[in-house]
Amino acid sequence: MAERGIGRRPEHLAAVPSTGPPPAEASDLLREVARGDEKAFGKLYDLVAPRVYGLIRRVLRDPAQAEEVTQEALVEVWRMAARFDPARGSATSWIFTIAHRRAVDRVRSEQAATERTIKAGIASVDTPYDAVADEVHGKLERQQVRRCLDDLTELQRQAVTLAYYQGHSYPRVAELLDTPLPTVKTRMRDGLIRLRDCMGTGVSA
Amino acid sequence: MTTEIHTLVGAYVLDAVDDIERATFERHLRECDACRVEVGELSETAARLADNTWSVPPPWLRENVLNEIGRTRQLPLTTEATTATRTTPRRWRFTAAAAAVVAAIGAGSAVYVVQDQRVREQQKVAEAARAEEVRVRAILSSPDVVLRKQEVSTGGRVTVASSRLHNAGVVMLSADRAPTDRVYQLWTIRPGGAPQSAGVLHEGQAADVVVVEGLPGATDVGLTVEPPNGSVTPTLPMIADVKLV
Repeated sequence: MAERGIGRRPEHLAAVPSTGPPPAEASDLLREVARGDEKAFGKLYDLVAPRVYGLIRRVLRDPAQAEEVTQEALVEVWRMAARFDPARGSATSWIFTIAHRRAVDRVRSEQAATERTIKAGIASVDTPYDAVADEVHGKLERQQVRRCLDDLTELQRQAVTLAYYQGHSYPRVAELLDTPLPTVKTRMRDGLIRLRDCMGTGVSA
Repeated sequence: MTTEIHTLVGAYVLDAVDDIERATFERHLRECDACRVEVGELSETAARLADNTWSVPPPWLRENVLNEIGRTRQLPLTTEATTATRTTPRRWRFTAAAAAVVAAIGAGSAVYVVQDQRVREQQKVAEAARAEEVRVRAILSSPDVVLRKQEVSTGGRVTVASSRLHNAGVVMLSADRAPTDRVYQLWTIRPGGAPQSAGVLHEGQAADVVVVEGLPGATDVGLTVEPPNGSVTPTLPMIADVKLV
């Protein structure tokens, strides 16, 4: 681009596209991983770890536990790689499903809740890098999803985000939103359908 | 029964069901082609919500994970019962796959050359990004790093981390929104010199991270709104001006 020449802005800045990496790569790597290729796994790690860690951290809200669960989830990706079926969806969707379920399992366990309270205190001392870089990168990635989330009705958005980002079960979401169960189930479904139409399903890697 | 259980599709995709409901729903899925298609699509959608959560993992995590997989046995490939009855949840994928096969037959090894080239280019970009990330991390974790923040008058903030030890700084812009039909441009101002561009954002871009070499010599980091592709000199007023001295 022309503006690249103007300043000192490094070329890398285009390398963090807000829509994620191109679709083929994660699934190509996953196929190699399924054959036991550890180097391919390293590349896959570089590709998805920030989002896997970010997602799990978002749900658990505790960096120390997020780290542990991220490790569990990524090891599960390694273990299960041969079961990934590209005909059923994208590789990243498969990976994030594993990661999300792990995070939700953890957040729902009673024991974790107490541990989390204790650890959250310890972990509140963030390095400047964590605090600042996270915020900026987060912002960058957020735009597209945020725009689509803003498109939902208030109830759809709350139902989807309380479940996905905070790991609440739908009965708990119904309670939090003071809304009947069937309504919450419906809002989750039609919220997702609206998001799908906004984002264009299958664009994600 | 089918309709009743199927209303759980959204909650199922969002992992908002309990184990019993999950098992029940998955049993239902095995009998319902249309439902599998819907679950496939909505799972892709839900996964996109993870785009919203980018966060830098601690650097040691990579090594921990790689060590762990070195000790972990992989499951063998098995044919699941559902494979045979599976429908195509995403027709375009099959079309793309079919096209690739046709191309492979027609063009032979040329396909691999193109593929290889593409992978190499992506690797180059990824490596550059990693190198840059290492530089950013080094500056930010430097013992003498000084952080300065300044609100953007139109919403958001500019954060500058500078290190004399590295003779460099990291400028992070996080604006609430991108300007319409215009772009953000960052500037460094040095004593006795004209403002120098430190980076021009794309249209629609509201956040950026820029490494500026020699930053500790500058007195200000400024932010302006400029026509697309940026300007040679800043268009005043500055909407943020971070004083470094």
